[in-house]
Amino acid sequence: MSFEDQVDEIEANTILGGQPFFSRAGGKIFIIWLVLTTIGVLIGIYAPHHLLTTFLSPEGGDVWATMVFFTVLAAPVAGFTYAVAIYSLLAWRHKGGDPDVPPPDGQPQRGNGPVTILWLGISTFLVVVLLFWGITVWSAQQITHPNTLQVKVTGQQWVWTYSYPGTGVETRTLDLPINRPVQFNITSEDVTHGFWPAALGVQVDANPGVITVIRSTPNKLGGFTVQCSQLCGLYHAFMNNKGAVVTPKQFASWLQGHGATPEAANQVADVDTSTDSTTAMSK
Amino acid sequence: MAESEPTGGGPVADVPEQTAQGQEATKARPVGILLTFVVAFVAIAGVAAFFISQTYTSPNYPSGIQVAKPEGTTVVAGKTVQHVSLAFQTYPDSTGTIDGKSIHPSGNPGWPAYGFSNQFQVPANSLVTVTIKQYDSGGALNNPWFGNVMGTVGGTATVTSPSGKTETVTHWDPNNVGHTFTMRGVPGVDPNFFLNVPLPTNANLPTGSSNDDAGQHYTVTFSFMSGSKGTYAWNCEFPCGQMVASFGGVMGAYGFMSGFVHVV
Repeated sequence: MSFEDQVDEIEANTILGGQPFFSRAGGKIFIIWLVLTTIGVLIGIYAPHHLLTTFLSPEGGDVWATMVFFTVLAAPVAGFTYAVAIYSLLAWRHKGGDPDVPPPDGQPQRGNGPVTILWLGISTFLVVVLLFWGITVWSAQQITHPNTLQVKVTGQQWVWTYSYPGTGVETRTLDLPINRPVQFNITSEDVTHGFWPAALGVQVDANPGVITVIRSTPNKLGGFTVQCSQLCGLYHAFMNNKGAVVTPKQFASWLQGHGATPEAANQVADVDTSTDSTTAMSK
Repeated sequence: MAESEPTGGGPVADVPEQTAQGQEATKARPVGILLTFVVAFVAIAGVAAFFISQTYTSPNYPSGIQVAKPEGTTVVAGKTVQHVSLAFQTYPDSTGTIDGKSIHPSGNPGWPAYGFSNQFQVPANSLVTVTIKQYDSGGALNNPWFGNVMGTVGGTATVTSPSGKTETVTHWDPNNVGHTFTMRGVPGVDPNFFLNVPLPTNANLPTGSSNDDAGQHYTVTFSFMSGSKGTYAWNCEFPCGQMVASFGGVMGAYGFMSGFVHVV
């Protein structure tokens, strides 16, 4: 192919080369975009079921929904970027020839008003939608509920410890009663750590000298893992421990097993001991 | 576009047909592509293999892995189990030698270290009795919680002071701790395993002293049940390092105040 033919081919296939967008190159890019977007949307919908943990709180459901929503919304944008990149690499790459003859330059790029407006408009719309979504989810976690259980979370190299005010209990495991709002008051004794009980839909930094507050309401029984999500030193990989969502009575018993008095344990666990006999009889 | 108008740095008119050299270059292209993929694969695999080989390793002490000494059998909770023992020390200066033995293979002045090994081997599901001679000075823990004895048989440790006084403790003053021996299960092995024993500070030894000053020492003895087979991590939780929160330097380097326990 002569040099002029190569230039003509580039001009004919270039998006901004004077040809209608949906002709030749544009049509092929559209098909690639459609395929990639479909794959992205399907991954966004189905992958979280397999990749994310089993959530034990509504906040975890919010995380799941956010993951799906953001992925689905991002799929067309990412798909378009990859479609153009893939088509460019395959169709417009230099296809060899004499190594002494350099490839011709492409068509000079000029401004295209409609494309710019379309691109900025779509981007702005997406950002505003995502911002609204994020603020809505975040705001829901800022609501203080009555009868909230307070838990002080302390990160230090390389252990998480949990204190339950009013009980004198400080442990390495995080047990929580079901259907009871929990407020985590998170801090660090040394460097920045990341408090991440993924199953509760919570992830927040633990900073030295600062108490960061985040809330969750476990509504399913089960065990979970707390990990550190900030690279914090030599044994960061080992900075994890177990937690569990249990019934209020189990929680009170667990507190007693870690040194709390029965009165303090029942009070903090919000267990009404006066109904024990009734409950036992009904069973 | 005018034919004679150049669009780049190369010639425009009278572009010659492909030369024999160019045709050979075109034929060689698939080989080049294949070679590129092979080289890339080998490079990535090499980097991955390097990182995998670094997993769970730390500087080997001259004495290698310290294998626990058999002590016969004993009964724990009504069950007869194997009994073994370990003995090691903490020193204020990792560059030193004791009785001709190097404390650490790459000691650093001013960095404390456990010696003479940082890796231990014990049998699974056995009673392990540990004796640690604590020669180093200390101070206050970042978190008083590590002043508690946790995970030992009975939740206690026996402390013998330099004057010879022996007492059984469940915790130690968190403001007078020299080091801690903190051992933990790791993901995939026994994540719930956790052991913590505070070692009293050697108050007679000023910070920065050499090992020659460390004649006096505390002796701390405790026993624990080893878990299932696997490699467990241990470290010191006393801020005996440098920089942020005194957890940099020696506390950020493998093999001085940290290591592994191989349960076999």
